[in-house]
Amino acid sequence: MSEVTLDEPPTRTQTPPRGGHRARLLRTILKRLLTALFVLLCTATVAFFLVRLSGDPVKILLPPDATAQQESALRASLGLDRPLLTQYADYLWGLPRFDFGDSLVYGQPVREILADRLPATLELAGAALAVTLVIAIPAGVFAAMRRGRGSDKTVMTGVLLGQSTPPFWVGILLILVFAVWLHALPASGYGHLANLVLPAVTLAVYSVAVVARLLRSSLIDVLTSDHIRSARAKGFGPLKVVLTHGLRNASLPVVTVVGLEVGSLLGGAILTERVFSWPGVGQLTIEAISNRDFPLVQATVLFFATTFVVVNLLVDISYSFLDPRVRTSR
Amino acid sequence: MERSPRGRTRDGSRPARRDVLRAGGLMLGALGAPALLSACGTTASANGAGNVLRVSQPGDPKTLDPQKQGDMVSMNVLINMFDTLTTRGRDNQLHPRLAVSWKATSKRTWRFTLRPDVRFHNGEPCDAHAVAFSIKRLLAPATKSPIVELRYVEDVTVIDPLTLDVHTTLHDPILPAKLSLFGGVVVPPRYLSEVGDDGFARRPVGTGPFTFVSWQRDHELRMRAYRDHWQGPPSLDGLVFSPAPNASSSLASLQSGGVDLVAGLTPDAAQQLQGYSGVRLDGHTGIRTSYLSLNTLEKGPLQDRRVRQALNHAIDVPLLIKAVLGGKATETPALVPRGAFGFDPTVRPFTRSVDRARALMAEAGYPHGFTTTLTASNVDSNVAEALSGLLAKAGVHAPVNLLDPGTYAARLTSDNRGALGPLYLAASTVWTMDGQSIVQSNVRSDRRQSRWHSKEADRLIDVEELSEDPARREQAFSDLQRLMREEAPFVFLYQLDNIFARNDRPHWKPGSAGVLAMQSAEVSQ
Repeated sequence: MSEVTLDEPPTRTQTPPRGGHRARLLRTILKRLLTALFVLLCTATVAFFLVRLSGDPVKILLPPDATAQQESALRASLGLDRPLLTQYADYLWGLPRFDFGDSLVYGQPVREILADRLPATLELAGAALAVTLVIAIPAGVFAAMRRGRGSDKTVMTGVLLGQSTPPFWVGILLILVFAVWLHALPASGYGHLANLVLPAVTLAVYSVAVVARLLRSSLIDVLTSDHIRSARAKGFGPLKVVLTHGLRNASLPVVTVVGLEVGSLLGGAILTERVFSWPGVGQLTIEAISNRDFPLVQATVLFFATTFVVVNLLVDISYSFLDPRVRTSR
Repeated sequence: MERSPRGRTRDGSRPARRDVLRAGGLMLGALGAPALLSACGTTASANGAGNVLRVSQPGDPKTLDPQKQGDMVSMNVLINMFDTLTTRGRDNQLHPRLAVSWKATSKRTWRFTLRPDVRFHNGEPCDAHAVAFSIKRLLAPATKSPIVELRYVEDVTVIDPLTLDVHTTLHDPILPAKLSLFGGVVVPPRYLSEVGDDGFARRPVGTGPFTFVSWQRDHELRMRAYRDHWQGPPSLDGLVFSPAPNASSSLASLQSGGVDLVAGLTPDAAQQLQGYSGVRLDGHTGIRTSYLSLNTLEKGPLQDRRVRQALNHAIDVPLLIKAVLGGKATETPALVPRGAFGFDPTVRPFTRSVDRARALMAEAGYPHGFTTTLTASNVDSNVAEALSGLLAKAGVHAPVNLLDPGTYAARLTSDNRGALGPLYLAASTVWTMDGQSIVQSNVRSDRRQSRWHSKEADRLIDVEELSEDPARREQAFSDLQRLMREEAPFVFLYQLDNIFARNDRPHWKPGSAGVLAMQSAEVSQ
């Protein structure tokens, strides 16, 4: 019963707006955008109040033998002595102008600090996504085509192992093998391609597993359907059938999950960046939290929330291009 | 003849292969092509070497403006680009640096004479005007400086280009020592007025032995030797600092040749390294001093001196150092660490004896012990658990209450002296190398964390803090330590070693405070 309320009111569907598909698509996107903005506003608010519950940053900034006067002077100069609601209003007012205030610890505008670190995190997440796709798609296709056989089971066991091993552990193992034993790759650092390999692989391990398993089951589903049977009947080879007819139809759930993985790759970068001393937003977040650097914590939380929201939005939109049924059903 | 063109073709195809590698290189690690990439890896580490020392420590500087930070990690980097007025030698004595001499000309005035012909990296002269500007900038509220050392300074007057007077609100006998690190950094006034605070923090200019080259946050900070340094050029050509918040990754970089020296290791992290080839561990007696603070102000067993002594007998510090800290600490008998001014070697530590502890407790009316809690920051969990175990042997049941470091710090600096419970584990870095700084925040009855009020101790602290004569100060410190040994308002523990892991390239020795000043460092190539 409740599903009915989620649908659009019948009156609207009876009188569809002019312009057909395109206008309806635009309207959907607009509605999604508004929801996304609302979600971000909520996140910003929660982050603002939650981080202030954690305690007083001035206590961390100053050594323990600072006097009470020194503390209140620093608090005043950081603007932390103003009423909470004033601070909140200031913060909200800054957001549309991408003004996140100055970091309490670094004394520099948060926007600049974030902009400094963003490339490293995007590079890492991008590389991890590339690794994911390059490994997961062939692995998924291979396993689906050999479903039930020994080779399928081997691949899927390997993949499951990857999914159930925590990333920081994978990272430490890779460092041990490739950096310490083989001296083949640097253990940490940033700037060279060689620096990127271990963290990207570490970060990708979990996503590879998720995407490969989903692609396998989705492909198996598609491969048992009628149109594949008829394609086979036309005499196409099994690989050609999978690549030309199977993949496109199996891609819908995979695109969804790849989209979500982009979000978790960015978020998952926190641990990986820590292990590999990678100079990205993840490391920054941990530092900011332990320093109670309010403006910086708020901004990094918003950054991660925004990437999730944006990725979800893009996934939703891409649906209507990949699957005509989504378009027509609206 | 056949061979050479083929060879050339191979050479010609090399960049193409590298491009392919670049494009598809991300998957290579997973596909296990270490052989292909090994060349890449070795060149990467070889680039960093040469006559350059690569140092890693647990964090990155907060900012490169030396007056806007107050933490050792930032200072360890900045001390290589900036000079201070005074400095601590490896003999733990105060030595001249930018100031060649100093004396108290009146109760509330210190006069400093500066080194002539010192210049900042940009050529700007470093004179009395620059020093006065630096001290005033540090004190100005607009600077938002977290540095508290100069709290008694109220004004600075320039007498002539190489002489200045620092005026304090009360007599501050250790002011010259406070100018040996955080408080004593000299910054260039002209450059600051040209580029502003932000520009200065982006491209810092000091008078120190190294000049700034580049900084990529959370990755690496590069410095080059300053050939015109007043002390002569350092023997290194360059210095690279990189942060490694995770001890095992920093140790992995050391083992794989990415860094030469790892600083800031905890004893347990260092223990993982014991016995690895190519890795050396150096421990130097440090100045970070740990103790258990006892709340004697609240009604309960801790108000009885015999109970407090019993706790000191019960906690077998040498055993603790051996078992939990891998031997990398030294017992401290009465709060002031050895190496600091005021340490009295004739004060002996308690004899460690559970029987003695039980007897004292029975005498005080607790034959079956008592129950309490031991609060600690979760970074010290190992030590706290061990302490709790040692106390239990003597019948004191003190389960450990661990707090995250932020909450811990907030309670430590709150006005509520009981905020951390009846027993808490704390440590203090006595970087001024003067006993005052540890007594400062913990003992005198008007201090926030003072949890033992004694008129005699207050009197001795006043003598120690306000006397001009070093001999009188030393006597007051001795008397104070004897009194504290007797009254036992703390369980005195140990001073931690500064632990460094290195490969066989660097030659360098730190002072007690463990500051990473690398001017004297050399590397063998």
